[in-house]
Formats: sequence, structure tokens, C-alpha cells
Amino acid sequence: MFSLAIRNFSARKLRALSTAAAVFFGVAMIAGTLMLTASVNNSFDDIFAEVNEGIDVTVRPKVAVEGEFGTSFARALPETLVEDVWAVEGVDLAVGAIGDDTITIVDEDGNRIGPPQGGPPHIAISRLPEDAPFQSFTIVDGAHPAADGEVAIDSITAESEGYEVGDTIRVTGAAGERDYTVAGIGEFGSGTPLGGASLVEFTLAEAQRLTGKRGRVDEIDATAAEGTTAAELATAISAALPADEVEVRTGEQTAEEDAGDIQEGFGFLSTALLVFAGIAVFVGAFLIFNTFSITVAQRMREFAMLRTLGASSRQVMAAVLIEAALVGLLASLLGIAGGFGFVELIKGLFKAMGFELPTSGLALEASTVAIAIAVGVLTTMVAALNPALRATRVAPLEALVESAGSTEREHERSRRRTIIASILVAAGVVLLPLGLFATDDIEMALQLLGLGLVLLFIGLAMVGDRFVGPIASVLGWPIERLRGVTGRLARENAQRQPGRTATTAAALMIGVALVVFVGVFASSIRASLSDTLDRQFVGDIAIVNTDGFSPIPTRIADEVSALDGVGVVSPTTLIPAEIAPSANEATVGGIEPRTLGRVASLDWTDGSDEIVANLAPDEAIFDENFAEQEGVGVGDELEITGPSGDVITVTIAGITTRSRFIVDQVALTRDTVLERLGARDDTTTFVNFAEGADPKATREQVDALLAERFPNAEARSQEEFKQDRENEINQLIALIYVLLGLSVLVSIFGVVNTLSLTIFERTRELGMLRAIGTSRRQVRRMIRYESVVVALLGAVVGAVIGLILAVAAVRALEDEGLELSISPSLPLVVLIAAILIGVVAAIGPARRASRLDVIQALQYE
Amino acid sequence: MEVGGRSAVRCEDLRRVFGAGEAAVAAVDGVSLGFPSGELTSIVGPSGSGKSTLMHVLAGLDRPTSGRAWVAGTEITGLDDGRLTELRRDKLGFVFQFFNLIPVLSAEENITLPLRIAGRDVDAEWLAALLETVGIADRSTHRPAELSGGQQQRVAVARALISKPAVVFADEPTGNLDSAASTQVLELLRRSVDLLGRSVILVTHDPRVASYADRMVMLVDGKVSSDTRVEGEDQVLRLMQTV
Ligand SMILES: Nc1ncnc2c1ncn2[C@@H]1O[C@H](COP(=O)(O)OP(=O)(O)O)[C@@H](O)[C@H]1O
Ligand SMILES: [Mg+2]
Repeated sequence: MFSLAIRNFSARKLRALSTAAAVFFGVAMIAGTLMLTASVNNSFDDIFAEVNEGIDVTVRPKVAVEGEFGTSFARALPETLVEDVWAVEGVDLAVGAIGDDTITIVDEDGNRIGPPQGGPPHIAISRLPEDAPFQSFTIVDGAHPAADGEVAIDSITAESEGYEVGDTIRVTGAAGERDYTVAGIGEFGSGTPLGGASLVEFTLAEAQRLTGKRGRVDEIDATAAEGTTAAELATAISAALPADEVEVRTGEQTAEEDAGDIQEGFGFLSTALLVFAGIAVFVGAFLIFNTFSITVAQRMREFAMLRTLGASSRQVMAAVLIEAALVGLLASLLGIAGGFGFVELIKGLFKAMGFELPTSGLALEASTVAIAIAVGVLTTMVAALNPALRATRVAPLEALVESAGSTEREHERSRRRTIIASILVAAGVVLLPLGLFATDDIEMALQLLGLGLVLLFIGLAMVGDRFVGPIASVLGWPIERLRGVTGRLARENAQRQPGRTATTAAALMIGVALVVFVGVFASSIRASLSDTLDRQFVGDIAIVNTDGFSPIPTRIADEVSALDGVGVVSPTTLIPAEIAPSANEATVGGIEPRTLGRVASLDWTDGSDEIVANLAPDEAIFDENFAEQEGVGVGDELEITGPSGDVITVTIAGITTRSRFIVDQVALTRDTVLERLGARDDTTTFVNFAEGADPKATREQVDALLAERFPNAEARSQEEFKQDRENEINQLIALIYVLLGLSVLVSIFGVVNTLSLTIFERTRELGMLRAIGTSRRQVRRMIRYESVVVALLGAVVGAVIGLILAVAAVRALEDEGLELSISPSLPLVVLIAAILIGVVAAIGPARRASRLDVIQALQYE
Repeated sequence: MEVGGRSAVRCEDLRRVFGAGEAAVAAVDGVSLGFPSGELTSIVGPSGSGKSTLMHVLAGLDRPTSGRAWVAGTEITGLDDGRLTELRRDKLGFVFQFFNLIPVLSAEENITLPLRIAGRDVDAEWLAALLETVGIADRSTHRPAELSGGQQQRVAVARALISKPAVVFADEPTGNLDSAASTQVLELLRRSVDLLGRSVILVTHDPRVASYADRMVMLVDGKVSSDTRVEGEDQVLRLMQTV
């Protein structure tokens, strides 16, 4: 049987290849993701190992609350601690250093270098003493900065932005901006791109001044004297320093910890990529199932003949499964090669957003190969299991008689299939709302949703043949009206084997459902955002960081206030904090009670605008949902811990609803957050122009001030602010579309495959049509319309499912202020996309069908 | 040899060679024939003698290696695929051994298919007459699977006649039928010649089938070995036994 399977496989090389295409994309995505993850992890391990090489002990500020972004909100260490470390027995060397990502490199026009919005951070580092045995920044051209007016920058930034030794570079930080001379160009670690981050090395004093950390350092690095181990030294230093302010670790631990932090962030990306790969594999499985079902049906005679020759049904099954395994293996091997392409695709997408993924040692690990092959082969075999079983049911007699299959047993089977399919659909329909509404655990919810969708899709594909007839009649009607007999034949052909059409369309349905879901969900987010801003942002402009989320200097508020035409300035700040007694993390905002009411509008569940205006330093405003989650109400007392471990006690004074733009979870007075919780910067500064001031002129003044003094900040009107947020969402959506697009691509291959196989089956019929006067063009049209009907079927049903899902998901998140918004062009877009997909999928098969040799086709049996 | 001016189909020194060099086979080897309207001609000969190949070339389904052929006054040798398709659509009808009906269309839809492909209107009277003639008027809405082999082939004959073609080609039309059904189909072809004045070219190796024709052309090794008026089944049998 093995040799028969091999024969079959190699006799139909082309078909094997196009079947393998179904699994190829999924495997390529998995292999690529694994390669990317491994290589990024290795790169970061290497980078941080190199950077911390030679350092025995590091001392860093204790971080009480981490926050979601990499930016550290913790207060830097007093420089006096460096002396304290020197004093510890066993210390050979102690160095205080700055590592701060709040600086911005700007070009001549005052714009942040790199991508205009967001992008990787710019990091200030301080020059280490020459005699330190650890030098993370190695100069390759020029020299380290020797004076406060000099800097060295990393070679990647130098190259991409065209800086050379001797050039002038402008950097802004908490202390304002300054021009520096590029004294040198260097490499961090061994020159691996740090995710696209730019590095600027200053003298220690200048780094401290620019980042607003005079008399403070971000880290103290120490080496041990002869005879003292790193661990011993860490213990000793730890004992000598105030335990509630510092974190003492060995250099090795720090390297691991730093790499781990970044890798954790990256782990999210690889999980997401694997989810998309899983979708592609799932779609591919449908197509494998379909192709094998068709080829098994076409080869029933052959199987029956084998049975008459004495082959057991087990052997027949083995023959089909081995062929499947070979197809899977082929797909896996190609997929592994394709994985390199996927890595490039992802790197390209990230590069387009300004992020450089460090993939220095892109290598194929044995585990990647093993997983890719296992996924490819198993998926193919599992998908071919049912067709293989069907092959075993052939009676030997069928080799001799046209159709000896018992229709009674067929009926029984079809009944059973309907029951199973109904159970699957029902289970899916139960699981989806469970995932949406019944659990607060995100991971649990996603798993329930995923499983629910898988069951729903499989169930729908199984009962799909029941609906193909009626739906195709409706969808095919316009084609038939417009195109007459070719349209009619196309529609009839699509309905001829409803099971096949159902599975083929189902594969497309999955991709379209997900795309529509994401699209509607995203447009709902955009609409809610727009609505939120309309309701809450009543000022003229908001000043934010150019990247949209990083902090901005508090001094902006003061300087903008001084401008002519500016009426009210109301700065806000934001920090991560911990709430006691629940120990949950929360984002805590700081607002200016006197001015907030002039630039923003809040809706109240419990309280009024009076409460904001008179908010006391020990009072807090809570968002309704967060208060509910914490189980607290007005009058309750809570403890809040800031990022550096400062603890304050506050009383809840009011509860707002749907006002998350201003009160995300908790709002205190800005003074409290700055002075008592250790915040250093603002997040958004709202500005109202003075009564009677010329808005255009005032805005121009603000813009000029920001460009001159604070290039990493920009003023946005309500409209612009909305646009920025929308662009951010759109960028993410585009990324998701590309990844889902691969699944759609797989399903297009499915349409191609099914068409090719059915054309092959209808060879004689096509020959006859040609003989009685059907032109090549009409044949092509007929195939094209059939393809379009199948594509429409998948797309329309998929769009409906995606829409229902999106509506349900938006309902589930109504509490968070989400409201449904469906683009009116959606149906049109789906229709056009489906028609395009159908037309594209039909190109190859239609051409082949039209070029059929009529005489051969007529004689074809 | 009869190369009539009024011939529906005519060919001159037609050759069709398969393969090249040593392996070359002249399936049709210098055939010149004319087929007048109103005549049923059978082309007979042993298996492999080139009957089907000749028919394919005359019907514009295959191109000759050399020689010329005309259908209804148009020279078909040298026409491109589009023109040949149009010609088949307008001037020719086909009946095949395998009935070759479209399974998803009803009998009536199968019959009118050539007109609908050509984008022409269906002459309802003509259709009714055909349905009546081929004897499936009461089953016109049935799909092919619901018809017997003989009925299916009669539908195929009706399909060949619907566009009122100048010539109908039939390649072993009774090859898959029992004798009663064969008789009905042959009667039908006979009538389309006698009543409708079509030219019918019937390829067969069955003497009984050949005896329905007015004229019998015998091919041997791609050449015309005899071309005679049919006088009866005995004569046909005798002629066919000589090869
Ligand atoms: N496509 C082809 N390629 C090569 N040889 C062919 C082809 N078609 C027919 N022949 C050869 O031409 C000869 C005549 O075939 P055919 O016309 O089918 O004969 P008949 O219909 O009389 O049985 C045979 O020898 C056959 O092998
Ligand atoms: Mg033949």
C-alpha cells in the first residue's frame, strides 16, 4: 500500500503541490514565528549579557508598581548612594550611571527623528569611567564625549539619519533642548539593533542635567575585589543600603531580568502570530479535507478494484492516509522554507512602523523543524481521515457495477452527520456568549471564544450542503439574469456537489468572518473614541507627546500659560499605581481641580462637577466600572501605592461614568500625584483659548513654542487628536488584516483546487459544450461565474457571522463605553471582495478549461 | 466520386497525420468526398480506419494536416477557433456515443442549450415539434438521470436539430443503446433527413446501423475503399465483410 500511495502521490505531482499549498501557509507562519521568537530571544539574551558583562552587582531603584509600558516611573537613586556602595567591604569599583528613555533626538526642522508617530525610544546613557571593566558602549569612530557639549551616538542611528563625527545633533530632555557635537559613533553590545532604539551617550553630569536627574542616578554598577563573589557582594551591598529604596542584584541576574522583560513583551507578539498561524492551519485543514474527499470520490472505482484484488479495507485506508502524510510532509518542508519569508514579512511590517526586530542569529532550530513537520503532517492526516474512512466503505462490487452503493446507508450516515453538526453548532453558539459575557478572565474568554468559533465553523461546514442550494440560487440569480445560460450553468455547477461547495466556501467564510469581525469591532472602537472625545474634550487643544502616549514635561503647562491668547491651561498626569486592600493595579491620573471643568466634561454616577472643582489632596474620583470591580463607593477609604513605593490614603469623593478619557480608573489632584506619588511628568495638557483671542494665531504661537522648546510635544485639536488615535487603530488593524489575509489566501487556493478538480471531472461535458458551439470565452465565463458564486457564498455567510460576532462582542464591552458602528459600505466591500476573489481564483482553472482539447475531452472517460 | 456543388459538406484530398517521422500515422489519407443535403451517409470501416478522425476534421473539431474542407459553402480549413466555434454553433449538430447531456439541466433545457449558448431565441413551435418527434414531450422537465439511455440519446438528437443545422454528425450514436432504442434513434435521424432535408453523417461499425443510410462510404487505413448507394442490409453486410 505504501508503494501505491507513493505512486499516486508522484503521479499527481501538481495536484499534490496545490493540495500542499493549503497547509503550506499555516506551517510557514508557525515556523516563521518560532524562528523569529527564538532569534529575537537569543539576540536579547546576547545583548544584555554583553551589556552587563564585567558587572558583578547592580543597584537600581525599587519599583513598587511596574505599569504597562517599559517607561520607568520610579524615582532615580540619590547619587550619594554611590559613595555608600564604595564604602562596602569587597567593592573594587562603583559607578553611577544614567539610562533614561525620555529624551528625544530632533532633526533640523525640530521633528523627532525616525517615524513621525511613536517608534522606538531614544535613550540617554552616561559615559562610564575609562577604567571600568564593563563598557557596554564601544566607540567605533571618533571618541567618547569628553565635555558636556559632546555626545556619542549609536552607529545604526548614525547611519540611518546620516550623522557623522563632527556633526551637530539636537537633543531635548526634561531640562529643555541643547545642541551637541557628535564626538563619536559607537555600538551598544556588539552592534545588534536594540529594537530600533537610538542611543545617545553623554557625560554623566550632562546626562543627569538633561534628564532632570541632577544629583541622581538610574543605576549603580559595582565590581567585586579579588576574593569576593558577585553573590557575596550583592548581599553585602544590599545590607548597606536602604532596603525600601533599592533593588540589588548580581550582573547576571540583571541581564536575565532585562532580557526577560523584553522577551515577555515580545512573547505577546509571538502568541498573537501563532494564533493567526493557527487560523491559517485550520482553514488549510478544510481544504485538505475537501481535496481528499473529491479525489477519493473520483477514485472509488480504483479502490473497489483494489478490493476485488484482495486488498483489505485497512490497506485502502492506509493508502489514502500515507498519501496524506506525504502531502503534509511536502507542505511542511516547503513551509519551513516559507518560514524565512514570513520572518521577512513580519520584520518588514514592523520596520514600516519603525521597529527593528533584532534577529541577528536567525537560525532554524531542530525543535522548529520538528514542530512544523508535526503540525503539517498531523493536520493533513487528520483532515484526510474522514475521506480515508469513506474509501474503505467501497464495496468490491462497485468496481464492476456503475453504482452499487446502498443509498439507505448513505441516508443513515447523512442523518448522523446532521446530528453531529447540529451538536457542534449548538456547542459553538453556547460557548461564544460564555466567552463574551460570563468571564472576566481575558485568557479564559479568548479560549472559550476560540473553541466556540472552531466548533461553529466545523459544524456549519458540515451542514453547509443543506444551505448551498437555496443560498446559491439567491446569489446566482443576478448572474443568471445578466449572463444567461453561462450564468445558469455556473450556478447549477456550484450546486451540483453541495458538500464540496459548502466546504470550499466554509474555508473562505472563516477568513471573511474574522476580517469583518475585526473591521466592525475596530470601527466601533473608532466611533466610541470619537464620541468619547466629543463629549469629554471641550477645550481647544490638547498637548501630548508626539508618540501619542509618552510623558511630556510639566513645564509646558507654565510656558503655554504665559502665551498671549491662551485662557485656561489644565495639565493632567498619569502613573501606574497599586490599590489597597485589593492589591490591583490601576492607572491613577492627576487633574487640576480649578481648571479641569473648563476643558473637559464629566458624566457622574455619584457626584457633580462641584466635586472636581473642590477636590481635596486626599480625595479621589473613581470610574464607575473600576469602582464596581473594587467594590467601593463614595466615602470609602483606600490606600494607593505609587511606582516608587510611596503610599497615600484617599477617600472617594465621586464616581464618574463613561468619562475614561479623563478619569481612566482613578483621578486625584495633580499636585498629589506629582508630589506624593513621585510622578515627574504630565501626560496631556489641555488648553482653552482666551475669550476673544484669534484661535488661529494662538494655535500658531503654541505650535511655535512647542517646536522651539519642546519638540517631543505637539498640540492637537479635537479633530487632530481623533485622527491620531484613529491612525493608531488603523495601523494595528492593517497588521491584523495582513495576517488574516494569509488565511484568506489559503482559502482562495481552496477555490482554485476545487474548481480544478471539478473541471477535471466534467471534462467530457466541457468537450460537448465546446463541440455544440460554446466559445472559449463562454467556457471561461462559466467557470468564472461558478467561482464567483462559491466565493459569494463563503463571503456573504462569513460576513453575516462576523457581523453577529462583532455585535455580540460590542454588546459585551458596552460597559467600557463601546458602541456599535458598522460602516455602510461594508456590504458593498464584501460583495466586491468576493467577486474579486472568485474571479482571481478562476483565472487558472478557467484558462485550462477553455484550452481543453475538444476531441480528447469527448473521448475522455 | 461525387463532389457535388450543392454539398452541405465537402472535402478535397484531406489528410490528417498523427505523430511525426517513423511513428507518423496517417489516420485520414487523401480523402475527397461531398455530402449533399437531404442525404444520410454512413461512414463505416474497421476500428482504427480513421472514421472518427475524418468526422472531427469535417466538423471543425480537428485541423487537417493538408487538404481543404467546406461546410455549407464556407471553407473551414484555416478558420480560427472563434470562427469555427460560430460555425459549429450555427451550421452543425452533434450526436455522440456517450449521450453527453448536462446532468443539471432538464431535457428541454438540454435541447435548447445550443440556442441559449448562441444567444438566440427559442422557436417555441419548432421546439414543440421536436419534443413531439423525439417522443419525450411528456418528459421534457425530467433531468437526464431520470431518463433511459434511449430517451437520453433522443434528447441528444433533438439538441443536434434545434438550431436547424445544415449537417448533423453522429459518431456511433447507438454504441451504448440496446437494439430497440437504437432503432428509435436511427428512425429519428432518418426522419430528420427525409422530412427536414438535413444532411446527416453517421459514423458506425455496425452494418445494421449503416443500412439505414442512403449511401455508405467505407474507409480502410484512412482511404476511401468504397462509396456506394445503400440497397439493403444484406448488401451492406456483404460489403463490410470484404474488409
Ligand atoms: N490523437 C491521436 N494521436 C495519435 N493517433 C491517433 C489519434 N487519434 C487517432 N489516432 C490514430 O488514428 C487512427 C484512426 O483513428 P480513429 O479515427 O479513431 O479510427 P476509428 O474511429 O475508425 O476507429 C488510429 O490508428 C488511431 O490510433
Ligand atoms: Mg471511432
